[in-house]
Amino acid sequence: MSPAKKGLALQEIVFTLQKYWADRGCLIHQPWDAEVGAGTMHPETFLRVLGPDPWRVAYVQPSRRPADGRYGENPNRVYKHQQLQVILKPPPADIQDVYLGSLVALGVDPAAHDVRFEEDNWESPTLGAWGIGWQVLLDGQEITQFTYFQQAGGIDLAPISGEITYGLERIGMYLQDVDDMFALEWAPGVTYGRVRKEEEYQLSRYSFELADVDLHRRLFEDALKEGWRLLDTKDAKGAKDARVTLPAYDWTLKASHAFNVLDARGAISVSQRAGMILGIRKLACAIAQRYVGVDTETEPRTAKGDAPAAVKRA
Amino acid sequence: MPEFLLEIGVEEMPASWLPGLTEQMRQRFTELAQASLLVPEPVQSFSTPRRLVVTGQVAARQADCEEKVWGPAAKLAKDAAGNWSKAAEGFAKKSGVPVDQLQQAAKDAAAPNDPYLFFIRKTTGREAREVLSSTVIPPLLRALTFPKRMNWDAMLIDERRGDLPFGRPIRWIVALLDGEVVLVTIHDKQAGARKPIVTSGAETRGHRFLPRGRSSEKVKVTSWSDYRARLQERCVTVDPGERERAIRDQLAKGGATNVQDFGLLEEWKHLVEWPTVVFGRIPDEFRKLPTEVLQTVLVHHQRYIPLGEGEHVTRFAALTNADRAAEAEIVRGMERVVTARLRDGAFFFAEDMKRPLSDRVRDLSGVTLHQGLGTYAEKAERMAGLVDTMGEGLGILTKGERETAREAARLAKADLTTLMVREFPELQGVMGGIYLRAQGHPQANVAEAVRWHYHPVSIEEGSAPARVFSGGDATVFGAVSLADKLDTLAGYFGLGLVPTGSSDPYGLRRAAQGAVRVLLDFWQTDETERRPSLRKLVVATVAGYGGKLKRPEADVVRDLETFLLERLRYVFTARGFAGDEVEAVLGAREPDALDDPRETWKRLQALHRVRLEATEDFEALAVAFKRAKNIIGDRPPAEVDTGLLQEGAERDLHDAVSELQPPPPGSGRQGGGVDGGYESRLRSLSSLRGPVDRFFDDVLVMAEDPRLRANRLSLLSQALSLFYRIADISKLGG
Repeated sequence: MSPAKKGLALQEIVFTLQKYWADRGCLIHQPWDAEVGAGTMHPETFLRVLGPDPWRVAYVQPSRRPADGRYGENPNRVYKHQQLQVILKPPPADIQDVYLGSLVALGVDPAAHDVRFEEDNWESPTLGAWGIGWQVLLDGQEITQFTYFQQAGGIDLAPISGEITYGLERIGMYLQDVDDMFALEWAPGVTYGRVRKEEEYQLSRYSFELADVDLHRRLFEDALKEGWRLLDTKDAKGAKDARVTLPAYDWTLKASHAFNVLDARGAISVSQRAGMILGIRKLACAIAQRYVGVDTETEPRTAKGDAPAAVKRA
Repeated sequence: MPEFLLEIGVEEMPASWLPGLTEQMRQRFTELAQASLLVPEPVQSFSTPRRLVVTGQVAARQADCEEKVWGPAAKLAKDAAGNWSKAAEGFAKKSGVPVDQLQQAAKDAAAPNDPYLFFIRKTTGREAREVLSSTVIPPLLRALTFPKRMNWDAMLIDERRGDLPFGRPIRWIVALLDGEVVLVTIHDKQAGARKPIVTSGAETRGHRFLPRGRSSEKVKVTSWSDYRARLQERCVTVDPGERERAIRDQLAKGGATNVQDFGLLEEWKHLVEWPTVVFGRIPDEFRKLPTEVLQTVLVHHQRYIPLGEGEHVTRFAALTNADRAAEAEIVRGMERVVTARLRDGAFFFAEDMKRPLSDRVRDLSGVTLHQGLGTYAEKAERMAGLVDTMGEGLGILTKGERETAREAARLAKADLTTLMVREFPELQGVMGGIYLRAQGHPQANVAEAVRWHYHPVSIEEGSAPARVFSGGDATVFGAVSLADKLDTLAGYFGLGLVPTGSSDPYGLRRAAQGAVRVLLDFWQTDETERRPSLRKLVVATVAGYGGKLKRPEADVVRDLETFLLERLRYVFTARGFAGDEVEAVLGAREPDALDDPRETWKRLQALHRVRLEATEDFEALAVAFKRAKNIIGDRPPAEVDTGLLQEGAERDLHDAVSELQPPPPGSGRQGGGVDGGYESRLRSLSSLRGPVDRFFDDVLVMAEDPRLRANRLSLLSQALSLFYRIADISKLGG
């Protein structure tokens, strides 16, 4: 590897993409402060895509997938990776070109590579969400998931949202021309391994060997219970309370993470799996319904034009 | 005639949809243009992932036409005083013609003296451009169907005014008639007429990135040939056939001719607009990896074609949408992806090989099959037990076959605990076979039976693993494959987890089809007593659960029989046999379809052929036997008292039936073990047509004398039962 070839450091990739999308009207949000498996689970995606209000947002989301943990020994697979997620609601007609512009900003000249949009639809059974789209391949390497959301929480979306999810480590490895994720340069002179390898080891060990199965079963059940309890609360007028969706959604995320830990621990059988996923989905769908006002006696949400200044400028 | 060109510019459509969509564009356009009186000349359609194209010649305008519009009868047109009646005036008003300009003529040639009022409506044909933009293109956009449609917030303000879901978003439309734009507009669903999102024009777009620096320019086109040529300059080959030739040429140039392409060549031509084939190398360190692992990584994960010398995969060919100048850089990236994946594979292989596969059988007790069905260790035991029953209880395996099949059944699932299968689940079974072979399992055929036991998965007669096995090997494979599938079916049915509608989460339909196929296409024996009965196998499988199933065994057996019969019907129909022929052989008895699926399959083929030769005879027999069945009901055949046969036709039928009675069991001729047996028997049975027809013409079956009636019913019943061994002829003809 020649030093001249070396691309942006991981944190520079983040800066570049955040600047790129901020310049295109996106609000730059922060990672959600709970364990999630993907950027889609951040309420800035799951809830904001519901209802009619326009929205544009981008954020980095560390994503935990306990079953993918490899004790820091696999150069390509990790317990926790980082996604940079962009939501464009509604998607502009030139969304693909705008996305390709972000690759140019990262130093990729598409005319000198093979960049392709290959069919890859996305579905999250736990969130009752699905979309149509592609994986974006750069010389055979998947670097982005590109999805037109069609449904979230079981609700048909109007308008739809465009979701762009960059796999930051993958892009970094490509740009820096390294074969081992842990050899990535996070900041100049500091490797990804130095920042994260020990974390990978400990979290993998925890999910595969140490996690208390009974505790996580209880956490799973309790989290769902708490979510439903919140949805059952009534407001001052005795109607179903519309202002409990955010904490209820947090509990949905906790249930989902407990499920993932149990799964990594090998404690879930095929039939249990389907039932547990259904349990999470039901809660997520009920929250989505409450969020858009379908199951309350209050007026449904309508476009209020309350998009942030950044969004309005777009 | 003016030339028409339509290009629907889209975001990348899935490659697998394009062949169907291209054909739909041609057909739907032709139909709609015809219905709109534009007489389209041979229409051609083309596609790339980013465009659906149709072109042809159409009439410049619709022909003018005249049409007689009939009104009330002339006798009702005037009242007694000779004034125009209300009916006549109303008709004139509706027609927009002064009432005294209405004409009269006879409406019906058979009633020349009964004239009616009429007028001639003249329709002036509209210009093609107007017709295309109103009654051809908008309906065409709506008529295209996709395996999966998406909402992209678009609507068409046409007659049907409403949402326009599509396969992927439409981003531009070129619609030209002799170079003039045909107007079509798509609007935003929320904003409606206020916000057009796509308006047709004369400008297309070239390749996304090529030629460098010019890719964002819009490209004005005037005609089909101009369009095609301009696009070629912009690195887009619009004809999939031309792209395929380019791909083959480039493969040949790279020394890859007659390659095993795993179906990729068909897909490749629809993946890109500008096919550039590149070649990468597989590093030597992966030489020792099993070919199947290399193929899985290359074919299934990357869509690359493996190339090699002899058995070794040493290179791969990959398709790109790129400029040849970028080849070196692209190949470097691809090789890196492949290497990363193969390095995983090599690590898994080395780790897995450290333990003999048979050691892993006990690890299966930690792998849950299903909460209610225990672990894979229990499944392996049940499978081995079922194989034992096949050998000892049912007597359909020889001792040698049983021992081999038993060992294979015991080992079949062990590879589920290997790292390789956990990473590449599509290699289940395959890896088990590979590890057994590499580790030198002492019993021949065990590795092969394990490798293939998830098959057959598709329903075509010649599909895998046809041609891999023959004779006793096929029986061993069949026993293991059946044991696996039947065990799965019995287990899930035993829990009440039965497929409903389109929901079949455990793949039980496929499992049942696989089981049926083993018996139809693989497990072949000429010895009647060693022929497997699906009915007995089901009972044995359910019993193998030793009372652990939630539902009563008898219920599970009954439901499974119904399910398997349904899948058998499905396989037969899918193989192209007419529904009534399938019903006829499934209606046969002794043995019935579940007792002997393979014989049923032979009978079906025989019936199909003989019916083709003697279509009329079979139609007539079907009618007669339907009638007979209605009369007889389910009465079993009784002896016929020849003394009571009175009419000639009655005696003739009795003679014909006696002549055709099969020889008693054990005389060697029965059973149709040879494929031709059924055919010749059906041919002779078709000779019953004459006697049966005469019988119904001349003889009163429901005679007043109860003894005569009973005797005639018995005679009919015997005639029917002659066929029952092959097919229930009364089911023919729907």
